[in-house]
Amino acid sequence: MDIPVSRDTVTIDESVHKIYKDLTDGTDPVTVPFKTMKDVFLWAAILGYKRGERRPISGKKITIFRWAQFSSQTDIPVVKAVSLADGDDINVLLSQDEMLNVLEEFANSGIHELRSSLLDEQGQPLFNLVKII
Amino acid sequence: MKLERITIENFRQYCGKQRVDFAKDEQKRVTVIHGINGAGKTSFFLSINWCLYGTSVENIKIIDNVGELMSKEAVSRAAIGETVRTSVDLSFLHNGERYQIKRMLQGVKLIDGTVKVEENDSFSMMRTRADGQAERINNPIGTMNSILPANVREYFLFDGEKIDNFAKPEAAKQVKQAIYLVLKLEILERSRRHLEAVAVEYRKELKNKSGQQLRDLLEEEEKARTEIQKSKDRIYAVHQEIDSAEQKIADIDKRLREMENTNILQQQRDRIERELKQRRTELEEIVNTVQGLATSGYFVVAEGAIKKAILLLEEKRARGEIPSDFRQQFIKDLINKMVCVCGRPFDDGSEEHRTLLAKVSHGLPDALQDEVLNTCAVLQAFEQRTEKHRADVDSAMRRRAELVDIIRALDAELDDLSRQLKGSPLEEISKLERNRENFKADVREYNFEVVILHTRIDELNKKIVELKKEVDRARREEKREVLLSTKLDLAQRAADAIGEMYQSFADEMREKIQDKTKEIFKKLVWKESHFQDVKLGPDFNLEVIDRYGYSARPELSAGERQVLSLSFIMAMSRISDEEAPLVMDTPFGRLSSHHRNAIAEHLPMLASQLILFVTDEELRDEARQNMESRIGAEYRLEFSSKTSCTEIVEVK
Repeated sequence: MDIPVSRDTVTIDESVHKIYKDLTDGTDPVTVPFKTMKDVFLWAAILGYKRGERRPISGKKITIFRWAQFSSQTDIPVVKAVSLADGDDINVLLSQDEMLNVLEEFANSGIHELRSSLLDEQGQPLFNLVKII
Repeated sequence: MKLERITIENFRQYCGKQRVDFAKDEQKRVTVIHGINGAGKTSFFLSINWCLYGTSVENIKIIDNVGELMSKEAVSRAAIGETVRTSVDLSFLHNGERYQIKRMLQGVKLIDGTVKVEENDSFSMMRTRADGQAERINNPIGTMNSILPANVREYFLFDGEKIDNFAKPEAAKQVKQAIYLVLKLEILERSRRHLEAVAVEYRKELKNKSGQQLRDLLEEEEKARTEIQKSKDRIYAVHQEIDSAEQKIADIDKRLREMENTNILQQQRDRIERELKQRRTELEEIVNTVQGLATSGYFVVAEGAIKKAILLLEEKRARGEIPSDFRQQFIKDLINKMVCVCGRPFDDGSEEHRTLLAKVSHGLPDALQDEVLNTCAVLQAFEQRTEKHRADVDSAMRRRAELVDIIRALDAELDDLSRQLKGSPLEEISKLERNRENFKADVREYNFEVVILHTRIDELNKKIVELKKEVDRARREEKREVLLSTKLDLAQRAADAIGEMYQSFADEMREKIQDKTKEIFKKLVWKESHFQDVKLGPDFNLEVIDRYGYSARPELSAGERQVLSLSFIMAMSRISDEEAPLVMDTPFGRLSSHHRNAIAEHLPMLASQLILFVTDEELRDEARQNMESRIGAEYRLEFSSKTSCTEIVEVK
């Protein structure tokens, strides 16, 4: 079977790039909890999914990491679960492109909630993140 | 350019086709065409102009107010519906090649006797190269204009009535224009103007930019770098202070350990500090654990999505869409072979066949089946993982809380110890402890300063990265500016150089023409001794200076003015590179016999070819004798009042 060449870049809207930077750029884990943009992206996508809002990227797209950085044991299954839960169509499992679209649009809406939950609430960002779990 | 032959057909009073061969030998270069007034000299002259340039070219009117070009007699002779044709053919030699040009105007005669003439005439050109090969020229108008430009035409094909134009007092402008056009000074002037305009454009563009931005950016970058270096120096100094303070604390601790009254307290303190250090490390580790658990804990929050996905996948299986027991390919193979799993063959349409077909049609592609099955299995494990993850986070957070409490308690113990020592009745002990406390405070402050300095350095480094990008951008811009000012410089210098060249060339040309005009004028004017000089000054006024050194032009007779003008024209045609015939329509009409005689003698040697349209009075007696040896062809225009047509008759 021919496997179509899939997109493997994960992109975000240029306008939210600063949020990703603010949440990953630092050495103190308490104030800057995230080590990778991938983790921020997945958190944002899950929060977006919970809000139930897919927001298409309207500005310039910026690549922040690649599909290969997703772990096969946790990240990819969750990506698949969210894609399935969103569209009720199992065929999405064969389309990496479509799954990325779903996640990117959820992340695009969830990133703002992630930011405000971590930075606008009282308490330190890392422990605010723990509270969501 | 040397004219060879002209064929005139139905042009004004020239009815039918008539031909004239022009004299073009080195020795016999003059063609004389005689005609009384009204015989058709001007029409003949016009036919040459029309053939070369049409009625107008490049907005220059060649033929104006001359009525119909088509021969009335030819029209009247034509039958209704017949096409009447007016054409002039001219063949000439130029740069060793033979050219033939033809201009033609056609019209159809209508019932009312008029002719509906085509709006545009047609113009075509053939060239016969030196090797005898003839070719049609695709751009005849442009080619003609390059052989003899239309705007210099009137200095070579000129009308005797306008002959004194250049010698009139107000003629400076015309003289100047004539020199510029004929000697192609205009090209230089045009390129100078063009370069000047280009330079102005560049200058405008440059004005909008400035190197200030780049300088500001570089200065800012330099400032940032200096500040980083200062911060680093300061960090080094602060670390030395910290080391020194810590050394002092260690000394005090040592002293307290040695003193009898304090050694127990100090040992206690040593123990607490060791433990505190250990606990702090532990806390740091646990915070890192919490970080790992929290950032990777998004799947815990995705619980809802995972459950929904599992439901969806299981539903497919329950509905039999995912037969987890068989591969599609396996069933397809059985159907192809028509053999049951047990090895027994079955028939088309049998029970076994139908069951297998149903399984194939309900099934999903193998790749998707694999995906569904694997994903389902992996996701089902998440329930347990989620629970475990929550438990891990809870226990890490609890441990952290415990550690925070332990550290607080240890800090409190230390404070208590310190208070005891400070409150010692022994002055030395109290003093030592107060000093120790001060050094501790120093270390804390220094450490804080180091953090601030590091933060500042990070900020500055980020700023430098941004500045570098801007500097690169500004540098690229500046390169463009440098290029632009180089171009500007080049354009301006070229314009200036051409301007200078132009000026000196114009001066040189003006002087040459002046000298030539003088030479010719002296040959042609009988009162030679009366005139001292001919001057063509920078103001382009053509002046004749008399023997007293005064300008003699106001006193010049009409004839003398004509001769001056003619001298100027001859001078130009000698100086210019154009090899062109001189075609003159009634040039001697207003000259006295003295002038005529002189001109007739010298004129043939001043032009490479001379074609004269003259009345009998203009060229007779001595004038004719003077020219006789140069005449190579002679024609007479005979006008018939019966037909109103002119016939060209060769004079043998």
